[in-house]
Amino acid sequence: MSKPCPFEDATAAAARGGGWSAELAAHRDGCLRCAELTLVAAVLAADAESLAADPRPLPDPGVIWLRAALAAREQKLARAMRAITWVQRAAFAAAAAVGLFVAPELWSLLKPALAGLDLASPFAGMPRAAGSPVLALGVSLAILGALALYELTAMHES
Amino acid sequence: MIPMALSLPGTAVTQPAAAMAMDEAAFRLLYERTARPLRAYLLRCCGDPSLADDLIQEAYLRYLRSGFAGESDDHRRHYLFRIATNLLRDHFRRRRPETALAAEHEGSQSRGEAVDLRSDVGGAMAELSPKDRQMLWLAYAEGASHLEIARVLGLRAASIRSMLFRARRRLAAKLEARGFRPFEETS
Repeated sequence: MSKPCPFEDATAAAARGGGWSAELAAHRDGCLRCAELTLVAAVLAADAESLAADPRPLPDPGVIWLRAALAAREQKLARAMRAITWVQRAAFAAAAAVGLFVAPELWSLLKPALAGLDLASPFAGMPRAAGSPVLALGVSLAILGALALYELTAMHES
Repeated sequence: MIPMALSLPGTAVTQPAAAMAMDEAAFRLLYERTARPLRAYLLRCCGDPSLADDLIQEAYLRYLRSGFAGESDDHRRHYLFRIATNLLRDHFRRRRPETALAAEHEGSQSRGEAVDLRSDVGGAMAELSPKDRQMLWLAYAEGASHLEIARVLGLRAASIRSMLFRARRRLAAKLEARGFRPFEETS
């Protein structure tokens, strides 16, 4: 690279906006670096001016604003969704932990109730089974657990 | 069910979202002031008018999503040019993944590039590397300082002067080959 010319900045400004002093014009005529700078700066400034006057319409700012607002709303929803998913996971984990903790006790309570069922004659055994609160609790927990699992997997698939 | 629980009451989508740092009127004003120069920059750098329109929309979308407030009009304008430059870089990388690095250093348009050759200036610019085009446009069409160019292009400010000099030489040669002369009236 040749040594920078001290007139470069002034030359660039004059080439873009006019206002050549006699001294600067004389320098430019004798300095190859400033001559090239003048050519490039003047051509690009004129080109920028003509492109700025381009009659083609710009994209509608209203549409851009709308798209940005929609994207922001979607982002908000995704954030809320994430929070709910985490709460659900935590609840599921807590329920599983409690379930595991009380499972032996529950089983010992359920075992006599199940033993009391007369599977050979369900109609005869029905009132006793249905009347057992422990059995009802066990069945409800199993159904709720299955529903929670289904919901979690369905949400991840969608 | 979860999806139902999340179906929030109707919120007008034209309401400014929390992430956006300005309201619609302020955005329209910014757009009015900056969109044409930004489109000119994108057009001269990518050479394709329809791509320039796509990129300009994406640039403003990213700007709004960023929540950038800016201290002044100039600050916001530079930020927009920076986003546009990143979009251009992504575009050139996508087009020529096998020559991504070369594209940063040496120029000439790719075969598939729909270059705007309607003007001699467009043709001459298209023969330069993307970085040369960006640097020259920012310096001489936008009147940006070396520091501003460095910030927009993500380069070291100290190296801008020499890089600009070399890019200028290349463009001057292309222009002269097309019949432009240093001191003729160009507008």
